[in-house]
Amino acid sequence: MLLVMNHFHLEMKDVSKSVFRTINGTKVKTSILSGLDLRIKTGELITIMGASGSGKTTLIRLINRLSELDSGIIMLNGNDIKNLVPMELRRKIGMVFQVPVVFKGSVRNNLAFGIKLWGGNTVIETLSRDAGIPENLLDADAGQLSIGEKQRVCIARALANQPEILLLDEPTSSLDALSAQKIEKLLLGLQKERDLTIIWVTHEKEQVERIGGRRLVLRGERLEDFHA
Amino acid sequence: MLEVLAIAFTVLLIILSAAYAQRFGIGKEILLAGTRALVQILILASIILILFEMPLFWSFLVLAAMAAIAGHTTYSRSGKLENGLPVAVISIACASLLLLIPFFLMGIFPLEARYIVPTGSILIGNAMNVSSLAIDRYKGELKNKRSEVEAYLALGAKPELAAAACLKQGILSALIPSIDNMKNLGIVWIPGVMTGMLLGGADPMEAASIQIAIFTSIFVAGMIASSLVLYYSTDSFFTNAAQLKEDLD
Ligand SMILES: Nc1ncnc2c1ncn2[C@@H]1O[C@H](COP(=O)(O)OP(=O)(O)OP(=O)(O)O)[C@@H](O)[C@H]1O
Ligand SMILES: [Mg+2]
Repeated sequence: MLLVMNHFHLEMKDVSKSVFRTINGTKVKTSILSGLDLRIKTGELITIMGASGSGKTTLIRLINRLSELDSGIIMLNGNDIKNLVPMELRRKIGMVFQVPVVFKGSVRNNLAFGIKLWGGNTVIETLSRDAGIPENLLDADAGQLSIGEKQRVCIARALANQPEILLLDEPTSSLDALSAQKIEKLLLGLQKERDLTIIWVTHEKEQVERIGGRRLVLRGERLEDFHA
Repeated sequence: MLEVLAIAFTVLLIILSAAYAQRFGIGKEILLAGTRALVQILILASIILILFEMPLFWSFLVLAAMAAIAGHTTYSRSGKLENGLPVAVISIACASLLLLIPFFLMGIFPLEARYIVPTGSILIGNAMNVSSLAIDRYKGELKNKRSEVEAYLALGAKPELAAAACLKQGILSALIPSIDNMKNLGIVWIPGVMTGMLLGGADPMEAASIQIAIFTSIFVAGMIASSLVLYYSTDSFFTNAAQLKEDLD
Protein backbone atom coordinates (compact mmCIF):
# COMPACT_ATOMS: atom_id res chain seq x y z
CA MET A 1 0.00 0.00 0.00
CA LEU A 2 2.74 2.46 0.94
CA LEU A 3 4.51 1.65 -2.27
CA VAL A 4 1.45 2.48 -4.31
CA MET A 5 1.01 5.78 -2.52
CA ASN A 6 4.54 6.81 -3.42
CA HIS A 7 3.69 6.53 -7.06
CA PHE A 8 2.68 9.47 -9.12
CA HIS A 9 0.01 8.92 -11.72
CA LEU A 10 2.37 10.19 -14.39
CA GLU A 11 6.02 10.96 -14.06
CA MET A 12 8.51 12.25 -16.64
CA LYS A 13 12.20 12.18 -15.77
CA ASP A 14 14.98 13.89 -17.69
CA VAL A 15 13.08 13.63 -20.97
CA SER A 16 14.69 14.87 -24.19
CA LYS A 17 13.37 15.06 -27.71
CA SER A 18 14.82 16.39 -30.94
CA VAL A 19 13.15 16.70 -34.31
CA PHE A 20 14.60 16.78 -37.80
CA ARG A 21 13.74 19.95 -39.65
CA THR A 22 14.20 19.95 -43.39
CA ILE A 23 16.07 23.10 -44.36
CA ASN A 24 16.94 23.55 -48.04
CA GLY A 25 16.56 19.81 -48.54
CA THR A 26 18.93 18.78 -45.75
CA LYS A 27 17.84 17.43 -42.41
CA VAL A 28 18.89 19.46 -39.42
CA LYS A 29 18.53 18.06 -35.93
CA THR A 30 16.92 20.51 -33.52
CA SER A 31 16.48 19.92 -29.82
CA ILE A 32 12.93 20.74 -28.67
CA LEU A 33 12.81 19.33 -25.13
CA SER A 34 15.74 18.53 -22.87
CA GLY A 35 16.06 17.44 -19.26
CA LEU A 36 12.34 17.88 -18.78
CA ASP A 37 10.72 16.68 -15.52
CA LEU A 38 7.05 16.43 -14.59
CA ARG A 39 5.11 14.74 -11.78
CA ILE A 40 1.36 14.53 -11.69
CA LYS A 41 -0.90 13.01 -9.04
CA THR A 42 -4.07 11.10 -9.77
CA GLY A 43 -7.01 13.40 -10.40
CA GLU A 44 -4.78 16.44 -10.73
CA LEU A 45 -5.34 19.13 -13.32
CA ILE A 46 -2.34 20.91 -14.76
CA THR A 47 -2.17 23.56 -17.45
CA ILE A 48 0.81 24.00 -19.74
CA MET A 49 1.38 27.33 -21.44
CA GLY A 50 4.17 28.22 -23.81
CA ALA A 51 4.94 30.22 -26.90
CA SER A 52 3.97 28.89 -30.28
CA GLY A 53 6.60 26.41 -31.38
CA SER A 54 7.93 25.87 -27.84
CA GLY A 55 7.13 22.14 -28.05
CA LYS A 56 3.81 21.70 -26.23
CA THR A 57 2.37 19.36 -28.84
CA THR A 58 5.67 17.52 -29.06
CA LEU A 59 5.61 17.03 -25.28
CA ILE A 60 2.14 15.52 -24.98
CA ARG A 61 2.64 13.26 -27.98
CA LEU A 62 5.43 11.60 -26.01
CA ILE A 63 3.03 10.78 -23.18
CA ASN A 64 0.69 8.61 -25.27
CA ARG A 65 3.66 7.52 -27.34
CA LEU A 66 2.53 8.82 -30.70
CA SER A 67 6.16 9.96 -30.87
CA GLU A 68 9.22 8.38 -29.35
CA LEU A 69 11.40 10.17 -26.79
CA ASP A 70 15.15 10.31 -27.38
CA SER A 71 16.18 9.81 -23.75
CA GLY A 72 14.70 9.86 -20.27
CA ILE A 73 11.76 7.92 -18.91
CA ILE A 74 7.99 8.33 -18.70
CA MET A 75 6.11 6.32 -16.10
CA LEU A 76 2.40 5.62 -15.82
CA ASN A 77 1.47 4.40 -12.32
CA GLY A 78 5.14 3.64 -11.76
CA ASN A 79 5.60 1.57 -14.92
CA ASP A 80 7.80 2.66 -17.79
CA ILE A 81 5.42 3.26 -20.68
CA LYS A 82 7.86 1.40 -22.92
CA ASN A 83 6.88 -1.77 -21.08
CA LEU A 84 3.21 -1.31 -21.90
CA VAL A 85 1.54 -2.36 -25.14
CA PRO A 86 1.19 0.97 -27.02
CA MET A 87 -2.48 0.30 -27.82
CA GLU A 88 -3.27 -0.33 -24.12
CA LEU A 89 -1.34 2.79 -23.12
CA ARG A 90 -3.38 4.87 -25.56
CA ARG A 91 -6.62 3.48 -24.25
CA LYS A 92 -5.65 4.66 -20.77
CA ILE A 93 -4.32 8.03 -21.95
CA GLY A 94 -6.85 9.76 -24.16
CA MET A 95 -5.89 12.68 -26.36
CA VAL A 96 -7.79 15.55 -27.92
CA PHE A 97 -5.90 17.10 -30.81
CA GLN A 98 -5.38 20.76 -31.60
CA VAL A 99 -7.42 20.39 -34.80
CA PRO A 100 -10.39 18.03 -34.50
CA VAL A 101 -10.39 15.03 -36.85
CA VAL A 102 -13.67 13.12 -37.18
CA PHE A 103 -13.95 9.75 -38.90
CA LYS A 104 -16.20 9.02 -41.86
CA GLY A 105 -19.79 8.25 -40.96
CA SER A 106 -22.23 9.49 -38.38
CA VAL A 107 -21.51 11.05 -35.00
CA ARG A 108 -22.82 7.84 -33.46
CA ASN A 109 -20.25 5.86 -35.45
CA ASN A 110 -17.49 8.10 -34.19
CA LEU A 111 -18.54 7.68 -30.57
CA ALA A 112 -18.95 3.93 -30.96
CA PHE A 113 -15.38 3.48 -32.18
CA GLY A 114 -13.75 3.01 -28.79
CA ILE A 115 -16.64 0.94 -27.46
CA LYS A 116 -16.33 -1.48 -30.39
CA LEU A 117 -12.58 -1.58 -30.00
CA TRP A 118 -12.36 -2.00 -26.25
CA GLY A 119 -15.78 -3.12 -25.15
CA GLY A 120 -17.25 -1.57 -22.02
CA ASN A 121 -20.75 -0.59 -21.07
CA THR A 122 -20.71 3.05 -22.14
CA VAL A 123 -24.07 4.19 -23.49
CA ILE A 124 -23.68 6.48 -26.47
CA GLU A 125 -26.66 8.64 -25.49
CA THR A 126 -25.21 9.27 -22.02
CA LEU A 127 -21.80 9.98 -23.47
CA SER A 128 -23.11 12.48 -25.99
CA ARG A 129 -25.19 14.20 -23.30
CA ASP A 130 -22.10 14.48 -21.08
CA ALA A 131 -20.16 16.00 -23.96
CA GLY A 132 -22.91 18.46 -24.78
CA ILE A 133 -23.78 16.94 -28.15
CA PRO A 134 -27.50 17.43 -28.93
CA GLU A 135 -29.32 14.14 -29.46
CA ASN A 136 -30.53 15.15 -32.93
CA LEU A 137 -26.91 15.34 -34.12
CA LEU A 138 -26.18 11.71 -33.28
CA ASP A 139 -27.16 10.40 -36.68
CA ALA A 140 -25.77 13.35 -38.64
CA ASP A 141 -22.71 12.99 -40.85
CA ALA A 142 -19.75 13.95 -38.64
CA GLY A 143 -17.88 15.53 -41.55
CA GLN A 144 -20.48 18.29 -41.86
CA LEU A 145 -20.38 19.50 -38.26
CA SER A 146 -18.98 22.86 -37.20
CA ILE A 147 -15.48 22.85 -35.73
CA GLY A 148 -16.83 23.31 -32.20
CA GLU A 149 -19.23 20.41 -32.65
CA LYS A 150 -16.44 18.26 -34.09
CA GLN A 151 -14.28 19.07 -31.07
CA ARG A 152 -17.08 17.85 -28.77
CA VAL A 153 -17.29 14.65 -30.82
CA CYS A 154 -13.54 14.18 -30.40
CA ILE A 155 -13.78 14.74 -26.66
CA ALA A 156 -16.67 12.28 -26.34
CA ARG A 157 -14.87 9.77 -28.56
CA ALA A 158 -11.83 9.92 -26.28
CA LEU A 159 -14.02 9.53 -23.18
CA ALA A 160 -15.69 6.41 -24.60
CA ASN A 161 -12.41 4.60 -23.89
CA GLN A 162 -12.80 5.48 -20.19
CA PRO A 163 -9.26 6.90 -19.97
CA GLU A 164 -7.41 7.63 -16.72
CA ILE A 165 -5.61 10.61 -18.19
CA LEU A 166 -6.79 13.11 -20.75
CA LEU A 167 -4.27 15.07 -22.85
CA LEU A 168 -5.84 18.23 -24.23
CA ASP A 169 -3.92 20.05 -26.94
CA GLU A 170 -5.49 23.51 -27.09
CA PRO A 171 -8.95 21.96 -27.43
CA THR A 172 -10.64 25.34 -27.77
CA SER A 173 -8.12 27.11 -30.01
CA SER A 174 -10.42 27.13 -33.02
CA LEU A 175 -13.54 28.22 -31.11
CA ASP A 176 -15.12 31.55 -30.20
CA ALA A 177 -15.04 32.69 -26.58
CA LEU A 178 -18.52 31.45 -25.72
CA SER A 179 -18.05 27.94 -27.18
CA ALA A 180 -14.63 27.78 -25.57
CA GLN A 181 -16.07 28.49 -22.14
CA LYS A 182 -18.77 25.87 -22.64
CA ILE A 183 -16.10 23.26 -23.43
CA GLU A 184 -14.06 24.36 -20.41
CA LYS A 185 -17.07 23.85 -18.15
CA LEU A 186 -17.77 20.51 -19.73
CA LEU A 187 -14.22 19.24 -19.27
CA LEU A 188 -13.92 20.50 -15.69
CA GLY A 189 -17.25 18.82 -14.87
CA LEU A 190 -16.03 15.53 -16.35
CA GLN A 191 -12.77 15.79 -14.48
CA LYS A 192 -14.51 15.99 -11.10
CA GLU A 193 -17.11 13.40 -11.98
CA ARG A 194 -14.64 10.80 -13.27
CA ASP A 195 -11.58 11.73 -11.21
CA LEU A 196 -9.65 12.27 -14.43
CA THR A 197 -6.08 13.44 -14.51
CA ILE A 198 -5.90 16.22 -17.06
CA ILE A 199 -2.99 17.85 -18.88
CA TRP A 200 -4.35 20.91 -20.61
CA VAL A 201 -2.21 22.73 -23.14
CA THR A 202 -3.24 26.27 -23.94
CA HIS A 203 -1.64 29.55 -24.87
CA GLU A 204 -4.34 31.76 -23.36
CA LYS A 205 -3.60 33.24 -19.97
CA GLU A 206 -7.28 34.07 -19.40
CA GLN A 207 -8.18 30.46 -19.98
CA VAL A 208 -5.58 29.28 -17.49
CA GLU A 209 -7.04 31.63 -14.91
CA ARG A 210 -10.55 30.38 -15.54
CA ILE A 211 -9.56 26.71 -15.40
CA GLY A 212 -7.42 26.80 -12.27
CA GLY A 213 -5.24 23.80 -11.47
CA ARG A 214 -1.44 23.75 -11.30
CA ARG A 215 0.13 26.14 -13.76
CA LEU A 216 3.24 25.25 -15.72
CA VAL A 217 4.95 26.88 -18.64
CA LEU A 218 7.17 25.28 -21.27
CA ARG A 219 10.19 27.53 -21.68
CA GLY A 220 13.77 26.82 -22.67
CA GLU A 221 12.95 23.16 -23.44
CA ARG A 222 11.71 22.50 -19.87
CA LEU A 223 8.63 22.93 -17.70
CA GLU A 224 8.67 25.68 -15.05
CA ASP A 225 6.09 26.84 -12.55
CA PHE A 226 4.11 29.68 -14.00
CA HIS A 227 3.79 32.90 -12.01
CA ALA A 228 1.42 35.49 -13.37
CA MET B 1 11.74 -11.95 -95.07
CA LEU B 2 8.72 -10.72 -93.10
CA GLU B 3 10.96 -10.19 -90.04
CA VAL B 4 13.47 -8.10 -91.92
CA LEU B 5 10.75 -5.80 -93.26
CA ALA B 6 9.12 -5.37 -89.84
CA ILE B 7 12.44 -4.63 -88.14
CA ALA B 8 13.51 -2.21 -90.86
CA PHE B 9 10.20 -0.38 -90.43
CA THR B 10 10.75 -0.23 -86.65
CA VAL B 11 14.26 1.16 -86.99
CA LEU B 12 12.98 3.80 -89.40
CA LEU B 13 10.21 4.82 -86.99
CA ILE B 14 12.62 5.06 -84.06
CA ILE B 15 15.06 7.25 -85.98
CA LEU B 16 12.36 9.53 -87.39
CA SER B 17 10.55 10.00 -84.08
CA ALA B 18 13.85 10.63 -82.28
CA ALA B 19 14.83 13.23 -84.90
CA TYR B 20 11.46 14.94 -84.49
CA ALA B 21 11.52 14.79 -80.68
CA GLN B 22 14.97 16.36 -80.65
CA ARG B 23 13.28 19.78 -80.63
CA PHE B 24 11.71 18.91 -77.26
CA GLY B 25 15.11 17.76 -76.02
CA ILE B 26 14.07 14.10 -75.69
CA GLY B 27 15.50 12.81 -78.97
CA LYS B 28 18.31 10.90 -77.35
CA GLU B 29 15.95 9.39 -74.78
CA ILE B 30 13.60 8.09 -77.45
CA LEU B 31 16.48 6.69 -79.46
CA LEU B 32 17.75 4.88 -76.39
CA ALA B 33 14.32 3.57 -75.32
CA GLY B 34 13.51 2.44 -78.86
CA THR B 35 16.82 0.64 -79.25
CA ARG B 36 16.42 -1.02 -75.87
CA ALA B 37 12.92 -2.20 -76.76
CA LEU B 38 14.11 -3.63 -80.07
CA VAL B 39 17.11 -5.43 -78.58
CA GLN B 40 15.12 -6.76 -75.62
CA ILE B 41 12.31 -8.14 -77.75
CA LEU B 42 14.78 -9.87 -80.07
CA ILE B 43 16.52 -11.40 -77.08
CA LEU B 44 13.11 -12.52 -75.77
CA ALA B 45 12.28 -14.12 -79.12
CA SER B 46 15.58 -15.99 -79.06
CA ILE B 47 14.94 -17.14 -75.51
CA ILE B 48 11.46 -18.40 -76.42
CA LEU B 49 12.97 -20.13 -79.43
CA ILE B 50 15.45 -21.87 -77.16
CA LEU B 51 12.75 -22.65 -74.59
CA PHE B 52 10.78 -24.56 -77.23
CA GLU B 53 13.62 -27.05 -77.23
CA MET B 54 14.17 -27.16 -73.46
CA PRO B 55 12.28 -29.00 -70.70
CA LEU B 56 9.25 -27.08 -69.31
CA PHE B 57 11.11 -26.43 -66.09
CA TRP B 58 13.08 -23.70 -67.89
CA SER B 59 9.93 -21.84 -68.89
CA PHE B 60 8.94 -21.51 -65.27
CA LEU B 61 12.44 -20.38 -64.40
CA VAL B 62 12.15 -17.58 -66.96
CA LEU B 63 8.79 -16.55 -65.46
CA ALA B 64 10.35 -16.57 -62.00
CA ALA B 65 13.06 -14.23 -63.25
CA MET B 66 10.40 -11.96 -64.74
CA ALA B 67 8.51 -11.92 -61.43
CA ALA B 68 11.72 -11.02 -59.61
CA ILE B 69 12.35 -8.06 -61.90
CA ALA B 70 8.68 -7.01 -61.67
CA GLY B 71 8.84 -7.23 -57.88
CA HIS B 72 11.97 -5.13 -57.83
CA THR B 73 10.25 -2.46 -59.90
CA THR B 74 7.30 -2.30 -57.51
CA TYR B 75 9.71 -2.29 -54.57
CA SER B 76 11.57 0.71 -56.02
CA ARG B 77 8.24 2.46 -56.55
CA SER B 78 7.40 1.91 -52.89
CA GLY B 79 10.51 3.89 -51.93
CA LYS B 80 12.43 0.74 -50.96
CA LEU B 81 10.37 -0.20 -47.93
CA GLU B 82 11.84 -2.41 -45.28
CA ASN B 83 11.03 -6.05 -46.30
CA GLY B 84 9.48 -4.58 -49.44
CA LEU B 85 11.45 -6.64 -51.95
CA PRO B 86 10.45 -10.17 -50.88
CA VAL B 87 6.88 -9.01 -50.25
CA ALA B 88 6.54 -7.57 -53.76
CA VAL B 89 8.25 -10.47 -55.54
CA ILE B 90 6.27 -13.16 -53.71
CA SER B 91 2.95 -11.34 -54.03
CA ILE B 92 3.33 -10.79 -57.77
CA ALA B 93 4.62 -14.32 -58.38
CA CYS B 94 1.86 -16.03 -56.35
CA ALA B 95 -0.99 -13.99 -57.82
CA SER B 96 0.24 -14.58 -61.38
CA LEU B 97 0.85 -18.28 -60.89
CA LEU B 98 -2.59 -18.72 -59.29
CA LEU B 99 -4.25 -17.33 -62.41
CA LEU B 100 -1.90 -19.04 -64.85
CA ILE B 101 -2.51 -22.60 -63.64
CA PRO B 102 -6.22 -22.86 -64.60
CA PHE B 103 -5.46 -22.16 -68.28
CA PHE B 104 -3.49 -25.41 -68.41
CA LEU B 105 -5.53 -27.35 -65.86
CA MET B 106 -8.73 -26.71 -67.81
CA GLY B 107 -7.01 -27.43 -71.10
CA ILE B 108 -7.54 -23.97 -72.62
CA PHE B 109 -3.88 -24.06 -73.59
CA PRO B 110 -1.60 -27.08 -74.00
CA LEU B 111 1.23 -27.18 -71.45
CA GLU B 112 3.96 -25.87 -73.73
CA ALA B 113 6.53 -23.08 -73.52
CA ARG B 114 4.80 -21.34 -76.43
CA TYR B 115 1.76 -20.75 -74.18
CA ILE B 116 3.24 -20.65 -70.68
CA VAL B 117 5.76 -17.85 -71.21
CA PRO B 118 3.62 -15.21 -72.97
CA THR B 119 0.53 -15.78 -70.79
CA GLY B 120 2.61 -15.74 -67.63
CA SER B 121 4.42 -12.58 -68.66
CA ILE B 122 1.18 -10.69 -69.34
CA LEU B 123 -0.09 -11.63 -65.87
CA ILE B 124 3.18 -10.67 -64.20
CA GLY B 125 3.54 -7.37 -66.06
CA ASN B 126 0.06 -6.28 -65.17
CA ALA B 127 0.31 -7.40 -61.56
CA MET B 128 3.43 -5.24 -61.37
CA ASN B 129 1.71 -2.17 -62.81
CA VAL B 130 -1.28 -2.42 -60.52
CA SER B 131 0.88 -3.10 -57.44
CA SER B 132 3.16 -0.15 -58.18
CA LEU B 133 0.21 2.20 -58.58
CA ALA B 134 -1.39 0.84 -55.43
CA ILE B 135 1.65 1.10 -53.16
CA ASP B 136 2.45 4.58 -54.42
CA ARG B 137 -1.08 5.74 -53.66
CA TYR B 138 -1.17 3.94 -50.29
CA LYS B 139 1.94 5.76 -49.18
CA GLY B 140 0.61 9.08 -50.45
CA GLU B 141 -2.64 8.56 -48.54
CA LEU B 142 -0.82 7.73 -45.30
CA LYS B 143 1.25 10.86 -45.70
CA ASN B 144 -1.68 13.15 -46.48
CA LYS B 145 -3.98 11.64 -43.88
CA ARG B 146 -1.42 11.56 -41.09
CA SER B 147 -3.72 13.37 -38.68
CA GLU B 148 -6.54 10.92 -39.31
CA VAL B 149 -4.30 7.87 -38.97
CA GLU B 150 -2.90 9.26 -35.72
CA ALA B 151 -6.40 10.00 -34.44
CA TYR B 152 -7.13 6.28 -34.82
CA LEU B 153 -3.86 5.32 -33.15
CA ALA B 154 -4.54 7.72 -30.27
CA LEU B 155 -7.73 5.78 -29.50
CA GLY B 156 -5.74 2.57 -29.26
CA ALA B 157 -6.36 1.23 -32.76
CA LYS B 158 -3.75 -1.11 -34.19
CA PRO B 159 -1.80 0.12 -37.24
CA GLU B 160 -3.77 -2.15 -39.62
CA LEU B 161 -7.04 -0.59 -38.49
CA ALA B 162 -5.65 2.95 -38.49
CA ALA B 163 -4.38 2.49 -42.06
CA ALA B 164 -7.40 0.58 -43.41
CA ALA B 165 -9.04 3.53 -45.18
CA CYS B 166 -5.74 4.48 -46.86
CA LEU B 167 -5.15 0.89 -47.97
CA LYS B 168 -8.62 0.70 -49.48
CA GLN B 169 -8.05 3.95 -51.37
CA GLY B 170 -4.71 2.66 -52.66
CA ILE B 171 -6.27 -0.47 -54.13
CA LEU B 172 -9.31 1.32 -55.52
CA SER B 173 -7.31 3.91 -57.39
CA ALA B 174 -4.91 1.30 -58.78
CA LEU B 175 -7.80 -0.76 -60.16
CA ILE B 176 -9.66 2.12 -61.79
CA PRO B 177 -7.67 1.98 -65.08
CA SER B 178 -8.25 -1.78 -65.33
CA ILE B 179 -11.96 -1.40 -64.66
CA ASP B 180 -12.24 1.30 -67.32
CA ASN B 181 -10.36 -0.91 -69.76
CA MET B 182 -12.73 -3.75 -69.03
CA LYS B 183 -15.77 -1.53 -69.68
CA ASN B 184 -14.41 -0.40 -73.03
CA LEU B 185 -13.03 -3.75 -74.14
CA GLY B 186 -13.82 -4.29 -77.79
CA ILE B 187 -15.25 -0.79 -78.26
CA VAL B 188 -12.35 1.61 -77.95
CA TRP B 189 -9.64 -0.94 -78.60
CA ILE B 190 -9.00 -4.49 -79.72
CA PRO B 191 -6.70 -5.90 -77.08
CA GLY B 192 -3.30 -7.39 -77.81
CA VAL B 193 -3.97 -11.10 -77.53
CA MET B 194 -6.96 -10.95 -79.84
CA THR B 195 -5.10 -8.74 -82.31
CA GLY B 196 -2.23 -11.20 -82.35
CA MET B 197 -4.49 -14.21 -82.81
CA LEU B 198 -6.47 -12.53 -85.60
CA LEU B 199 -3.25 -11.53 -87.36
CA GLY B 200 -2.09 -15.10 -86.94
CA GLY B 201 -5.25 -16.31 -88.72
CA ALA B 202 -7.40 -17.53 -85.80
CA ASP B 203 -11.19 -17.68 -85.77
CA PRO B 204 -12.62 -14.40 -84.31
CA MET B 205 -14.86 -16.20 -81.79
CA GLU B 206 -11.97 -18.27 -80.51
CA ALA B 207 -9.72 -15.21 -80.38
CA ALA B 208 -12.39 -13.30 -78.44
CA SER B 209 -13.00 -16.09 -75.91
CA ILE B 210 -9.33 -16.53 -75.18
CA GLN B 211 -8.90 -12.78 -74.93
CA ILE B 212 -11.67 -12.33 -72.38
CA ALA B 213 -10.37 -15.22 -70.28
CA ILE B 214 -6.91 -13.68 -70.25
CA PHE B 215 -8.30 -10.25 -69.64
CA THR B 216 -10.28 -11.20 -66.56
CA SER B 217 -7.34 -13.25 -65.24
CA ILE B 218 -5.13 -10.19 -65.63
CA PHE B 219 -7.61 -8.17 -63.63
CA VAL B 220 -7.92 -10.73 -60.85
CA ALA B 221 -4.14 -11.27 -60.66
CA GLY B 222 -3.63 -7.50 -60.37
CA MET B 223 -6.21 -7.26 -57.61
CA ILE B 224 -4.73 -10.14 -55.62
CA ALA B 225 -1.12 -9.00 -56.08
CA SER B 226 -1.82 -5.40 -55.05
CA SER B 227 -3.89 -6.50 -52.05
CA LEU B 228 -1.07 -8.76 -50.87
CA VAL B 229 1.60 -6.12 -51.42
CA LEU B 230 -0.32 -3.44 -49.52
CA TYR B 231 -1.44 -5.72 -46.73
CA TYR B 232 2.07 -6.95 -46.02
CA SER B 233 3.61 -3.46 -46.43
CA THR B 234 1.53 -1.86 -43.69
CA ASP B 235 3.99 -2.78 -40.94
CA SER B 236 6.81 -1.05 -42.80
CA PHE B 237 5.06 2.31 -42.44
CA PHE B 238 4.85 1.99 -38.65
CA THR B 239 7.42 1.58 -35.90
CA ASN B 240 7.39 -1.32 -33.44
CA ALA B 241 5.64 0.98 -30.97
CA ALA B 242 2.74 1.46 -33.42
CA GLN B 243 3.79 4.98 -34.42
CA LEU B 244 3.31 6.22 -37.97
CA LYS B 245 6.87 6.78 -39.20
CA GLU B 246 8.00 10.39 -39.60
CA ASP B 247 9.75 10.19 -42.95
CA LEU B 248 7.39 8.73 -45.54
CA ASP B 249 8.99 9.99 -48.74
N1 LIG C 1 7.75 16.10 -37.11
C1 LIG C 1 8.42 17.25 -37.05
N2 LIG C 1 9.39 17.51 -37.94
C2 LIG C 1 10.08 18.65 -37.89
N3 LIG C 1 9.88 19.61 -36.98
C3 LIG C 1 8.93 19.42 -36.06
C4 LIG C 1 8.14 18.24 -36.04
N4 LIG C 1 7.27 18.33 -35.03
C5 LIG C 1 7.50 19.50 -34.45
N5 LIG C 1 8.50 20.17 -35.06
C6 LIG C 1 9.03 21.48 -34.66
O1 LIG C 1 9.17 21.49 -33.27
C7 LIG C 1 8.81 22.74 -32.73
C8 LIG C 1 7.76 22.51 -31.65
O2 LIG C 1 6.56 22.12 -32.28
P1 LIG C 1 5.21 21.91 -31.49
O3 LIG C 1 4.16 21.56 -32.46
O4 LIG C 1 5.46 20.97 -30.37
O5 LIG C 1 4.96 23.37 -30.89
P2 LIG C 1 3.75 23.90 -30.02
O6 LIG C 1 4.31 24.42 -28.75
O7 LIG C 1 2.69 22.87 -29.93
O8 LIG C 1 3.24 25.13 -30.91
P3 LIG C 1 1.74 25.67 -31.14
O9 LIG C 1 1.37 26.47 -29.94
O10 LIG C 1 1.87 26.57 -32.35
O11 LIG C 1 0.86 24.51 -31.37
C9 LIG C 1 8.34 23.59 -33.88
O12 LIG C 1 9.37 24.48 -34.21
C10 LIG C 1 8.11 22.61 -35.00
O13 LIG C 1 8.43 23.19 -36.21
MG1 LIG D 1 0.80 22.65 -30.72
